[in-house]
Amino acid sequence: MSAPLVEVCAISRSYAMRSGMFGRAAAVHAVDGVSLTIAKGETLGLVGESGSGKSTTGRVVLGLELPDRGEVRFDGQPMAAPGTPAWRAQRARMQMIFQDPLGALDRRLPVAAQIREPLDIHGIGTPADRDERVRELLRAVELTPAHGARYPGALSGGQRQRIVLARALATKPHFLVCDEPVSALDVSIQAQVVNLLCDLQAQLSLTLLFISHDLRVVRQISNVVAVMYLGRIVEIGSADDLFARPEHPYTQALVSASPAPGRRSAGRIVLAGDPPNPAARPQGCAFHPRCPRAIARCKGEVPALADVGGNRQVACHLVTGAETRDAA
Amino acid sequence: MGRYFAIRIGRAALTIVLVVTFAFVVLRLSGDPALMILGPEAPPEVLAAFRKAWGLDDPIWFQYLDYFGAIAKGELGRSMRDGRPAIELVLERIPATLALTLPAFAFKVALGVPAGIYAALHRGSGIDRAVMMMAVAGFTVPSFVLALLLVLVFAVQLGWLPSGGQDSWRHAILPIATLSLGGAAVLARFTRSAMLEVLGQPYIRTASAKGVPWRKVVTSHALPNAAIPTVTILGFMVGTLIAGAVVVESVFSWPGVGRLLVVAVANRDLAVVQCILLLVAMTMVTSNLIVDFLYGFLDPRLRAKGAHA
Amino acid sequence: MTDATLKDTAIRRRISLPAIPVSVALAVSWIVAMLVIATFAETIAPYGFTQLDLRNRLAAPGNAAHWLGTDELGRDVLSRLLVSIRISLLIAFGATAISAVVGTTLGFLAAHFRGAVEQFVLMLTDFQASMPFLIMALAVLAFFGNSLPLLIGLMGLFGWERYARIARGLAISANAQGYAAAVRQLGATPPRIYLRHILPNIASTLIVSTTLVFPEVILMESGLSFLGLGVQPPMTSLGNMVGYGREYLTRAPWIMLAPATTIVITTLAVSVIGDWLRDRLDPTLQ
Repeated sequence: MSAPLVEVCAISRSYAMRSGMFGRAAAVHAVDGVSLTIAKGETLGLVGESGSGKSTTGRVVLGLELPDRGEVRFDGQPMAAPGTPAWRAQRARMQMIFQDPLGALDRRLPVAAQIREPLDIHGIGTPADRDERVRELLRAVELTPAHGARYPGALSGGQRQRIVLARALATKPHFLVCDEPVSALDVSIQAQVVNLLCDLQAQLSLTLLFISHDLRVVRQISNVVAVMYLGRIVEIGSADDLFARPEHPYTQALVSASPAPGRRSAGRIVLAGDPPNPAARPQGCAFHPRCPRAIARCKGEVPALADVGGNRQVACHLVTGAETRDAA
Repeated sequence: MGRYFAIRIGRAALTIVLVVTFAFVVLRLSGDPALMILGPEAPPEVLAAFRKAWGLDDPIWFQYLDYFGAIAKGELGRSMRDGRPAIELVLERIPATLALTLPAFAFKVALGVPAGIYAALHRGSGIDRAVMMMAVAGFTVPSFVLALLLVLVFAVQLGWLPSGGQDSWRHAILPIATLSLGGAAVLARFTRSAMLEVLGQPYIRTASAKGVPWRKVVTSHALPNAAIPTVTILGFMVGTLIAGAVVVESVFSWPGVGRLLVVAVANRDLAVVQCILLLVAMTMVTSNLIVDFLYGFLDPRLRAKGAHA
Repeated sequence: MTDATLKDTAIRRRISLPAIPVSVALAVSWIVAMLVIATFAETIAPYGFTQLDLRNRLAAPGNAAHWLGTDELGRDVLSRLLVSIRISLLIAFGATAISAVVGTTLGFLAAHFRGAVEQFVLMLTDFQASMPFLIMALAVLAFFGNSLPLLIGLMGLFGWERYARIARGLAISANAQGYAAAVRQLGATPPRIYLRHILPNIASTLIVSTTLVFPEVILMESGLSFLGLGVQPPMTSLGNMVGYGREYLTRAPWIMLAPATTIVITTLAVSVIGDWLRDRLDPTLQ
């Protein structure tokens, strides 16, 4: 395992949410004490339901938002404050791929101009070099220069996402955050885009934070997978191992709900209770109201993320509790 | 509710402060205020006394605060034409202006609102189309053109009514007609669209689908809801009415505040202009506050929400 | 336009051309005619607009020498009308441009800085919307006297609050999600985000607002000039012509009717075009 490129140390981020025009503001803890490290050239998959805080984590890791507490270090250096010249310069080294490629593109500019834009912004190369680089990038994402003359509205969803990818790669960044990059695409197109992403990662030795609710896609691309529930990481481990042998009850439910070839759906764990609401976080283990195996202790005490061996960490009293209790 | 009105009253006070600031800044930018207010013919000792009284040698922040103090005490300077206090000149013109604007406002509402409701309830009918055409005319024909056309027809051609002056009630007919007609058409169009919007809502369909008589649907469901945006536009129309009065009083030689303003501007009688500016600001602020109170009263959502705060 | 291919758009454009309603075609022709007149006013005018012809005072329209008649000093009404159109349009265009630039800039500043800057801009828009503009304009003219640049600048303060509100609202939503956020995270500077990306994307909405402000500026200027407080003689404008023509309402109504008709048709034409553009470009705007 090589040196970490991205180190996330106990970040928290909450938002003030008002109920109605005159209501009192209440803090919603979107991310609560998340720590991660991503090694150079590796892919960390971040999975969770909507509202689990995975997108906020992605934005804080990329430096688009400041964490309320905690710190993100990139290549050993702390992130610059958003909006400052140093922050803007740093953007050339890290980029984002969005869920909605049409929303992320300017509909009133030809896509070639948009792929070129980061080069213009960061003043990379001469104008002729930049045009050549745009053609090169279009080829790299398996499109032709003819596509470059089109407007986003005239491209298909998959083509748009390739354009977003080409734009993100223009400055040769080291780190990409992909926030649900394929969930807006057709299933057949998803596979193509994910394969392209895998190929490009290998060629360019990119480091990825891959955020998705789709376990199949995450499994295909990730080396390490982290599972989030209501702002906290509940389980983290190497991808194949975690999917083969999930420890946390929530991960088990997710894995059982994900269709896999050759497995019957009979053993599926169906979660009871309301879907998670970050504005009303339950006491104790946030998952306990829906957990099929919850015990009394889960209601009162928040489980800490603890090492259970084999590069795996789990936050669950049932998995770690016995050992830590015994040790104490 | 309390919070809602506190915000509105605060905003009203802010508007007054801004108008006073505007008058202060413009007054200072335009030259020596003593000369401006008192006129170039004022004797030097009067100028000196004025400078001392108004603290024109003090730092600008002192002057700014003093200016507020003077205005609060009603010291608004004297007209440079006849030397009388500006506030007196303005106050004695107010009844004449109200004699035009109040009936005009009443006519505007009495014509515009029913016409708009009728047009909305009979969408596509001849009256609806006529209301829409009148509304376009009301926007595109400026009040001074309308005034002159009315004079041309009713005073010059037909000889029914006098074209200017303030001798009898007959003199007031054309000015009031000018002020109310254009606004009535715009109000009708606005009421019509507010009403159509409400009539398209699901609760109206629900009410009529469950067998509530149409007349009752209109009176107890549609009208109260359409009243909310209409009341808002009424407040806005007070402003148009004031601007309209300036033009109409000039055309018809009606001795009101509007005509006084035009004459004062032409003569650069700054004390009078400043006084009228403040009067208009007070009127606008008051009418906006009345609209806000009516709005709070009409909109039950605002009442309910206010109860929590 | 979102999912259409380029070819589709081209076809739709070709189809849509004959579909322009007659009223809009007439309105566009009128505005084009006004622009041509404004550009070549001096050349087209049969007489100088101040040229006196004392033997031919108050001549009725329809005679060979003076198509639209003459005024109390024997000046040709048609020539004066053409020059008035130039001045009134110059003021209206200048003022609309100023208010669009000022309003959009303030709206963008409010959207970018939020907080105190935004509150300040909102306070100014509230203030502007709550005071009748005519009264403020009269006060400024009283304090500063009168000149053409001042008049254009003053009229330029009219209507900016609409652009400010629209620009602020749309910029905030563009910043919150979508293309502006994407460009921001590429490392673009704020001027680049606002001018190269947001402005072209909200231009259609701003253009529709322009068609609402423009006729009101014409009406406001002609109102001030009518009161004798706007454009000053010997210069002439549409409102100024109506104002002086009013003295001869009984004997020579044409002096006042020619410019009055021009004002009404021009404001009507711009409103018709505006309504049509709003339906085509921006169905969300009220």
